[in-house]
Amino acid sequence: MPPTAESAAPPPRRRFVPLLERRYTLELRQQLSWPKQAAILALAVALGLFICGAILVAAGVSPEDLLNEFVVQTFTDPQNLRAVLFQAAPMVMVGLAAAMAFRARFWNLGLEGQMVWGAIGATFVSIHEVGPPALRLWLMAAAALLCGLAWVVLPALFKMRLGINEIISSLMLNYVAANLLLHLLYGSWKDPKDAFPYSPKFQAFERLPDIAGGFSSAIVLAAVVAVAAWWFVDKSRAGLYLRFVHASTRVADAVGVPVRRLVLGSVLLSGALAGLAGFMVAAGQEGRLTQAFYNGYGFSGILIAFLARNNPLAASVVAVLVATLFVAGRSLQVFYQIPFSMVQLIQAILVVCVASSDFFIRHRIRAVGQKGA
Amino acid sequence: MDLIAHWLGNMPDFAVPFALAALGLIISERAGVLSLGAEGLMLVGALAGVGVQLAVHEPGIALLGSMLAAATVSILFAVMVVWLRVNQVIAGLALVFFCQGLTGLLGTVLGWTNQPVTGLDVLPLGPLAQLPLIGGLFRQNVVAYLTPVIFALVVWYLNRTVSGLRLRAVGENPQAADAAGIPVLRTRFLAILAGSALIGLAGGYIAVLSTKLWIAGMTGGRGWIAVGLVIFARWSPWRAFAGALLFGGIEALIPQLAAAGISLPQYFVLMTPYVVTLGVMVWVALARRGSDETPGALGEPYLREERR
Repeated sequence: MPPTAESAAPPPRRRFVPLLERRYTLELRQQLSWPKQAAILALAVALGLFICGAILVAAGVSPEDLLNEFVVQTFTDPQNLRAVLFQAAPMVMVGLAAAMAFRARFWNLGLEGQMVWGAIGATFVSIHEVGPPALRLWLMAAAALLCGLAWVVLPALFKMRLGINEIISSLMLNYVAANLLLHLLYGSWKDPKDAFPYSPKFQAFERLPDIAGGFSSAIVLAAVVAVAAWWFVDKSRAGLYLRFVHASTRVADAVGVPVRRLVLGSVLLSGALAGLAGFMVAAGQEGRLTQAFYNGYGFSGILIAFLARNNPLAASVVAVLVATLFVAGRSLQVFYQIPFSMVQLIQAILVVCVASSDFFIRHRIRAVGQKGA
Repeated sequence: MDLIAHWLGNMPDFAVPFALAALGLIISERAGVLSLGAEGLMLVGALAGVGVQLAVHEPGIALLGSMLAAATVSILFAVMVVWLRVNQVIAGLALVFFCQGLTGLLGTVLGWTNQPVTGLDVLPLGPLAQLPLIGGLFRQNVVAYLTPVIFALVVWYLNRTVSGLRLRAVGENPQAADAAGIPVLRTRFLAILAGSALIGLAGGYIAVLSTKLWIAGMTGGRGWIAVGLVIFARWSPWRAFAGALLFGGIEALIPQLAAAGISLPQYFVLMTPYVVTLGVMVWVALARRGSDETPGALGEPYLREERR
């Protein structure tokens, strides 16, 4: 007897299908409201921080100490806050430098080499006592700016004239600059006092002075540059054109935007800012030219620009957070013998999480029935 | 004379890592994935090799460990660029810094830093090793002899097998490959893993067979040079092999010059590999003739939903 409609089982539409047995399709989202975007981003950052925390706990730091080191100490202890802001100044500069180049679709991975050159330029002015003492610091900054700019000229021209990949060329120049630095420090610029491989100490007027409350003037300089960069990017005509170039170089060229000049300009600006960062470390933190002062700034600059989506003001905020990480990383090194590479690892994990989260902002995964159905 | 003989004898130790890393890069780039992470994967291979070697004292297994470790870490990169469509430059850079941080941390925490290991014995190739001048070339370890064989196998795979043809199709034109029924994403994923294993082997070679110890950041930019080398070689394995010999030759010359008492400013000598990399890139750009051999879809994520 054929089953009647009443006795037949209800259609299995509502039955739960295990997640792995569903068939999924990927859809492109047209647009996602910004609170949702922010939520996805926050989730990604939280996941990244959780992974980093787990690694640190596995390496022997107790969770309470972790919180204490990274959060409580940094923002409650004025000494620490000063250290963070002091560290933030060159971070802001490299972040802005990376953002400027990325806005012109130029992967400037030579930030560290440009920093080295900036510091070499500043130290040259100091060692050879160029100009009167009252102007010395300004001359050092100017020299740093020019030297950083000069070191990016080669990869910029290589890319624009010959189509040479700037990622490799700017990176190779980092190693060249680093070896040149060692040549100077083990050679003619060695400190005559103790013959250690660092330059003689800068004189008092050759160092970035402290302003009210023991905060370094480096942070003021960085803030001024950040606002100027924001004006350039957001308000100036060149900034508008650059956004055009970033969106579509070919179309921008076709409608008469001076693409080559704009790209070259912002890449040179990028080098100059990285040079200034080198000046800040030499004349601010170290007070002399040292061997490995630039270590880690290159990637941090790229990370800052990436997380801030090349926005100068956002970059400044991210730079302060990265500086916190650096300062906390140093105390972890001292008190827990955790190598400074941990800081690098944390940054990389954050980039991986944030970069991957973009996928969920741009796509929707939707289950459409069962496998094999 | 002695100088040249020594130089030739030492050259393979410097050339093999460049060659293997470049070959690994070629495999993944021929599938359309720009692998900037070589520098980091070499570090992973180096650390893993030393770690395994310290535990088992068996160089063959240590090198397998290098390959396995690099391939495992590269899964992170592969998931990012193949499935999550992250910008390949950002993902590659993140991979380098992830590996630098990870190896620096593990090398210290596990206490593998500066621990000497035993490498592979030299295997003289019969009468060839007795030849004057070039005899040193035939007094190498097994891996150095195997390197040209690995190259021949990869060339045969890429050019003579269906699977190799598919891999290249995916790198040239993923839309067409997809339409022809080739699983684009899976091919790319596997190409990244296979290429990364070779890059890890290159790192393992440096640490286990060449320097015979681990120091943080010991690859010193060789991974980046290998990336440049692949551009110089225009994605052809044999040209990359020749380029690796060139770079290995330059690196092998540096200690020889010092040993021969020729005094040159040390740090300028140490710059040469990087300057030469720049130089050959300029030379290739100036001599750009004939067809463009860059894989057509290099660096572009494949999005079936965004067919243009």
